Amino acid sequence: MLISRHARSILSVTTRMLGPTADAEDVAQDTFVAAYKALSSFQFDAKFSSWLYRIAVNKCKDALRARRPGTVSLDATDEEGAAVWEAADEETPHWELEQVELAWELDKGIQALPHLYRESFVLKHIEGLGYDEMSAILGVHRDTLKMRVYKARTLLCQSLAHLDRAHR
Amino acid sequence: MTGSELLVQRFLDQELSGEERVQLLVRLGRDEALRQRLIDLEQLVLDVSRLPRPLLPDGFVARVMEQTAAPATPAWHRLADALWAPRALEWNLAGAVAVACLALLVVGGMVARGLPWQGAPPPDGGVSTSAAATAPPTPVLVRLVVVQPGARTVQAAGDFNGWNPTRTPLEQMSSGAWTVTIPLEPGRYEYMFVVDGRQWIADPFAAEQNDDGFGSRNAVLEVRPPMGASL
Repeated sequence: MLISRHARSILSVTTRMLGPTADAEDVAQDTFVAAYKALSSFQFDAKFSSWLYRIAVNKCKDALRARRPGTVSLDATDEEGAAVWEAADEETPHWELEQVELAWELDKGIQALPHLYRESFVLKHIEGLGYDEMSAILGVHRDTLKMRVYKARTLLCQSLAHLDRAHR
Repeated sequence: MTGSELLVQRFLDQELSGEERVQLLVRLGRDEALRQRLIDLEQLVLDVSRLPRPLLPDGFVARVMEQTAAPATPAWHRLADALWAPRALEWNLAGAVAVACLALLVVGGMVARGLPWQGAPPPDGGVSTSAAATAPPTPVLVRLVVVQPGARTVQAAGDFNGWNPTRTPLEQMSSGAWTVTIPLEPGRYEYMFVVDGRQWIADPFAAEQNDDGFGSRNAVLEVRPPMGASL
């Protein structure tokens, strides 16, 4: 039950951090297995989801460290990645197409961010966490996190600049 | 970071004071590039918030469960674990006195009736966290007792109520002990107590405990058929 409740959030983080690859699913699974093994060390006054996020982020860092340069192709996830996401709904097919393209560009931009900026940005804007909870998860001061999120936003804006006229 | 950038950052994080908002608006009125930059950043946050979440692949939960499934351990090993596992039991004098009284009631009742310790129906008012047959044939009335003096609510959740933590409330006795009597058919049940709706604890008085697959242990309740009856 605990797994079902948190699985999509954890998979969302690992997917945004690692890209929509098999790695992301493996790391999400590893997160729950590690949590299960360490359950006795969990402090029940802490937030369970924050604890899971912390494990997931650390697992992602390990996975990113293990990747050798050149082993990840952002373009390679284009076709398979698109099938993984939920389709946009309640809009016209044309709007959907634009949204899919925009989502794809956003994903590429997010995955191209430096790791430290990426994890802060994902927790803030994808998972919607506050800076205090992020600080507890990442062990980084909230002011530092604010700066990282701001830098991430700025870099993403720059990488998406070519889309401005087409999508907005 | 320039003053304008700091204002933009704080605007995006919704941390501007009223004075700072006015300051930013004045700068936006004068600086078209800054205005466009703020629009782009706001649009970005909006676009990202609309990103779809990944679908959970088929069998994801089952695969995790497979990896977390504990290997079967011999019964004697489980018993040794149960005996040597460290436990934290909160208690106070009132609770301890209450438990002692309850134990005396059980022992006194059994002695008074000259009944054997095993496989016999307990005396009227008998209290036990293992099975106690108080009525002929099924169901058997079973009383669960736990000492939680500081608790506001205590519930029992287990195989007997679909692990629903709201279906079987225990009543507080003046001593801080909590109790409930439930009718159960003879069989084997696993259960836990839920304190204040959030803290799941195993019954510290249970004769047997089982791994629940999530790192905690469930109490095991063996309800025996009443004397002369069969399962």
